[in-house]
Amino acid sequence: MSRHRQGVIAAHEDPREILGVAPNAGDEEIRAAYLRKVKENPPDRSAAAFERIRDAYEILRDPRRRALYMLLSGDPEAPLVSLLPAQTPERRFTGPGPWLAVLREK
Amino acid sequence: MSGKHQKAKTPPPPAGSRTDPGPLISQAGEVRTMLARGSTKSAVELAKEIHKRCGTPASEAVLVEAYGARIRSLLEHGLTAEGKALLELVRERYSSAKQTLADIDIVVSGPESGLEDLVRPLNDPALPKERRAAIESTIKRRMTDLSALAQCAALPPDHPLRVGAAALGGSLASVTSGPVTDDALLLPQVSHRGPLAPWKQLVRAIAYFYRQEDAACDRCLQGIDPGSVPARLVSPLRAMLAQRRDASLRAASTALVSQVGGNMETLRRALESLDAAFATKAQSKIIPAIQPAIAACRIARPELVERLRQHISIKAVKLNLPVRRVRAALGSLPVEDAYFWRLYARGMETPGEPLGPIACSLWEEFRRHAVAEGWFREDGLEAAALYLHMAELLQEIPGEALEEARESFIESFPGYSTHHEDQTPGVRRAAAKHKTPDFYYLFPDQLFARACALDPHREAFERWLDWARQETDSKAAERVAESWHRALPNDCRPLLYLMESAEKRGALSKATGFLEQAEKLDALNPEVRRAALRLLVAQAIRHLRQRKAHLAEQEVAALEALPQAQEADRPAFLAALRWTCSVIRGNVETASGHFTRVSRALGGTTGAILACESMAEACGLKRDGFAVYLPVGVSLVDQAESLAAAVGRACALGDDMDVVFSIPTAWESALFKELSQPPSRLEARQLRALGEAALRRDRRELAYAASAVGLAKGGDSEARFLLLRAQALPEWEFERRADCIAAAAELGRRRRDMRLVDEAVELKRGRGRRRMNFFDWMDAADEDAFSMSTEQVSAVLQREKQSPRFPAYESRPIADPFEEDAFFDDEEAEEASDVPSFEEIGRLLVEGGDSKTRGRNEKPSFEEIARLLLDKAEAEAKKKRRQKGRPPVPEQGDLF
Repeated sequence: MSRHRQGVIAAHEDPREILGVAPNAGDEEIRAAYLRKVKENPPDRSAAAFERIRDAYEILRDPRRRALYMLLSGDPEAPLVSLLPAQTPERRFTGPGPWLAVLREK
Repeated sequence: MSGKHQKAKTPPPPAGSRTDPGPLISQAGEVRTMLARGSTKSAVELAKEIHKRCGTPASEAVLVEAYGARIRSLLEHGLTAEGKALLELVRERYSSAKQTLADIDIVVSGPESGLEDLVRPLNDPALPKERRAAIESTIKRRMTDLSALAQCAALPPDHPLRVGAAALGGSLASVTSGPVTDDALLLPQVSHRGPLAPWKQLVRAIAYFYRQEDAACDRCLQGIDPGSVPARLVSPLRAMLAQRRDASLRAASTALVSQVGGNMETLRRALESLDAAFATKAQSKIIPAIQPAIAACRIARPELVERLRQHISIKAVKLNLPVRRVRAALGSLPVEDAYFWRLYARGMETPGEPLGPIACSLWEEFRRHAVAEGWFREDGLEAAALYLHMAELLQEIPGEALEEARESFIESFPGYSTHHEDQTPGVRRAAAKHKTPDFYYLFPDQLFARACALDPHREAFERWLDWARQETDSKAAERVAESWHRALPNDCRPLLYLMESAEKRGALSKATGFLEQAEKLDALNPEVRRAALRLLVAQAIRHLRQRKAHLAEQEVAALEALPQAQEADRPAFLAALRWTCSVIRGNVETASGHFTRVSRALGGTTGAILACESMAEACGLKRDGFAVYLPVGVSLVDQAESLAAAVGRACALGDDMDVVFSIPTAWESALFKELSQPPSRLEARQLRALGEAALRRDRRELAYAASAVGLAKGGDSEARFLLLRAQALPEWEFERRADCIAAAAELGRRRRDMRLVDEAVELKRGRGRRRMNFFDWMDAADEDAFSMSTEQVSAVLQREKQSPRFPAYESRPIADPFEEDAFFDDEEAEEASDVPSFEEIGRLLVEGGDSKTRGRNEKPSFEEIARLLLDKAEAEAKKKRRQKGRPPVPEQGDLF
């Protein structure tokens, strides 16, 4: 079975989540989501984020490749540590709460 | 209250005893100089002296100011209780202190509680500059609640501070919740000189941080006033930028770093420890490492906890770890959703464990959950891909073994219902939809049919057809081709297959009909052109076999009219057909002329002899007596040309036209001799054809010699000759054979020669020259051996190049050819290796027929013992192979 570039997308990550599309999204929805995400994360502003988005789209754009990826992602033999993002840790949006908590800490 | 401040309780002298205020001005200046130097205690002492002497509101203001500085100093040094006590005392004694020290009141009683008192003076346009600066400084250094300031009733709604605080509050919420545009960071409402300027820098720093624009983020952090409230976020932000663990961070900062994701070291270490424990396969090391990993994950990556549980569960199942202990360490059951079942199914596909039916049942469970969870539609492309994948798994098992495994599985499979009992309602609902067992997933034909119905595409039909061609039912492949043609009427491949099939069973008119349909679709398609050529050749040969030379000649004439028949050495083939016609007609003169054409086309008489004789043989003629149809003086051994080159060229022509050209036995020794003396003038293609012709006659030594010459030539065809070498090797060199196939496949993959890779895979599966048996299957299951590093490929190539001679048999211990592990688990292996006791041997002998002819106490001969032990070992081995051929079915409670 073919293996795809997974340098940016971690083993446990779902490319559909990266593009923010529903699991049963069709070709048009995927393309629209890709263009939207690229607009939000242009390569000159955030190369890593852009690469993740591009890789996710590469996987999802071809329906059969999408199907194969779906079947073959999640390797039970892979080390558990591979569940963590391989590249720069993702910076998760948390809302203002944890940030303000630091400001209030005496 | 501390004693040192008791003196402040002394009431000021009566107003009438006041001295002249003249010196007050100069002494107040002195107090302020002390305050500026930071000597707050001395300043207070001096101010007290002044106020004692003057007793005026002005002197009181100087004193309160000094007290204010003193209290701030105490607070800054962490002496909050002392500062608070002194503040209360001063407020109690001096009425003007309440307003003057309002900023300190905020610090002591909570930042927002006295906010209104703090900012109210800002409404006064006549507020002294210093006082305004002090209030703004306090806001900058102490105010942490933007919303409180934005809603502060002490200021008018359009006051810049309220407007700015509201804008900043909104921006802070935005930048910490998702990507924002540059416009959102402009914040024109916030002055870069005002007390909220550090907040503006902070908002921008956070936005740049999330955009991964680390340099811009760092610049903003540098612009934040170190004494301001936003400066408290500088350290955690820098720690996240540097992706390092900062031990000096306080609790809230550490929590922020964990939540945002900048620090996963603890989790990473815990997972690495658990991976190392799993590598040992020791329960005593694995179980204790699970809980810390789950705990670390819950802190740093709570959203990953469920995934981690699922992965750990599957790894534990594969190692047969006790379910209860693992479950206790995990803290709770993993959610058995689609992700879990996919993981489980993939886990059961492990190379070396041919558990096709079980893996398919798990994939079916995955399919049900995935459809229920909305991963894909029941009739979607994903489902089609899954059906194909399941069929591929079953294809790995030879027909008879699959049938047996299927029956056994259907008989004993309990279903996965118990797995859903403790699951979430969603999982239970998904499982409840399928109560009637349907074992379609154990039948490749049904799987292919489903896949092709959902997603009819060429590759799927090709795979289905490949499978059907292996089946004993000869009509199965035709049915597939017909389905293919119905689903994809514009694809000429099914028509070509139907043509070939009809041609093989002699239905040539039907075959011609299929060919005509294919030509209508795509007459220029090389496969169609080749098929047209092949069909005419088959028709000509058929007529020649029926001794209908006149009909055959018509077909040869039709062949000669085809442009593709004029390519390469094909004219020689047509001339050989004409020669055979002449032989059948008994026309020596014409035959001689055609032979000359053949030899001219093939560049010599040796190749012509092989081509003509092989052609005649294919037409059912005997070789005896051909000599009269050759030109006078033609010799089998033509000194001018290489025998190997001529044979190779003729064999390549035969391969091209799908007619088997056989090397005469009498030529073999001369060929072998020539091949043993490199360098050879043979082309790689001809060498291959020669080697394959030798293999067809099971002349492995000759094929081996051809592979040796080919490997010595090097270049791009090395992979092809490795494959030839693999086929030429004797059976007992199975390890070398596997290495050669794997290296050939690896080279093929790297050169994108998928045809070569397919051939290697087929050879590995044992479908190259004979039908796969159980042992081939067990051998083929070791897919790991199919992947090689560059170094391994080089080593195999080097070894094979250095082995030009056909291997001589060396006797080996009986156990060597088989990996015992492939058949027995450890326990069984131990049993198998047990040396039987003398009592057991005696019992065996008593059970054996020979004991009847021997006295009870008579010792058996060594021959008897050996024979009986051998019989016993064979019976055991057969039993175990039978057991292994029947894959175990998962029992309830085996899984999580």
